[in-house]
Amino acid sequence: MRKFYLLPCWLLSAPLWAATPEFELVIRDHLFFPSTLEVPAGVKVRLMVDNQDETPEEFESYELNREKVIPGNSRTAIFIGPLKPGEYPFFGEFYPKTAQGRVIAK
Amino acid sequence: MRWPLPLSRSVAAVLVTLVSLHSHADGLVVDKVYHPYVDALETEIEWRSVFQDEQRNFVNPAQVHKFSVGHSVGERNFVELYLTGEKNRASGFRTQAWEIEIKHQLTEQGEYAADWGLLVEYENALHSDMREFKLGLLTEREFGAWSGAANLFLINEWGEDIDAEIETALSLQARYRYRREFEPALEFYAGQETLALGPVLQGDLSLGPRKTLHWESGVVFGLDNDSAGTTWRLLFEYEF
Repeated sequence: MRKFYLLPCWLLSAPLWAATPEFELVIRDHLFFPSTLEVPAGVKVRLMVDNQDETPEEFESYELNREKVIPGNSRTAIFIGPLKPGEYPFFGEFYPKTAQGRVIAK
Repeated sequence: MRWPLPLSRSVAAVLVTLVSLHSHADGLVVDKVYHPYVDALETEIEWRSVFQDEQRNFVNPAQVHKFSVGHSVGERNFVELYLTGEKNRASGFRTQAWEIEIKHQLTEQGEYAADWGLLVEYENALHSDMREFKLGLLTEREFGAWSGAANLFLINEWGEDIDAEIETALSLQARYRYRREFEPALEFYAGQETLALGPVLQGDLSLGPRKTLHWESGVVFGLDNDSAGTTWRLLFEYEF
């Protein structure tokens, strides 16, 4: 039998269930609140994004390697990190001129 | 087996898998590497092409062109319809098949050690009785600025004009996220009469809010005598 079953093993070679710190990010009037979010470096964190606008928004950040649509009046979890210390910009793809922010990992 | 596996043993496991993968698959092995993500509210128009050298023990088309239109359904599914055409060495270009493909995102990006998705595909030849059903397991994991992706396919072919068989195929990609417009990558493909490795460049060009042109271009080289010596691949995808 071919050893296909071994393929996923390397991808599971890290703990699956570690405590994940959670941070809140609100979208209102096509703006992010807070626009600067401090998170701990070196650990995975969960951003709970609460879109309070009627319209959808897309959280996008090449630096964080994330792209996620949040429908209007809904909450979505976005997992980021573990991050090296530094600054990581993000923006809303539907309203890029106003919806801008940054994550600072310390 | 201890769990989780140490990384060195995990890499060794992948190598064992690759060596044992020289399977009996028909069709196009060098295609593209899928990522297990779906972007909600997105429509895509895609054109991708493969240009390949003649193979020693296998009649492969000189060129394969795929045109597709796709749209996300909900937050976790993406449905894409394809029209495929081929240019053989002895004849000109002709349309070859239609295809429907559904990608399902299984896990949230970054939530677990790796991200997972499924690909289901049905292909029907236009001028002969050949059908294909493909089930793919898609996975991806970040390693800092690097992303590693793997696609494992189980393929069933049947019809009056083809020998019914079950096939396997594997594709791997290691991609360096240098900048959005330009990312170098290394890709590996294994399938019938094909064991190939080569560099690929890709990127996203922003054309405005929610409008992106994604491109991929690469050349992979056969690693044994049965594989096509050189295969070029090209992809353009307009996302809006």
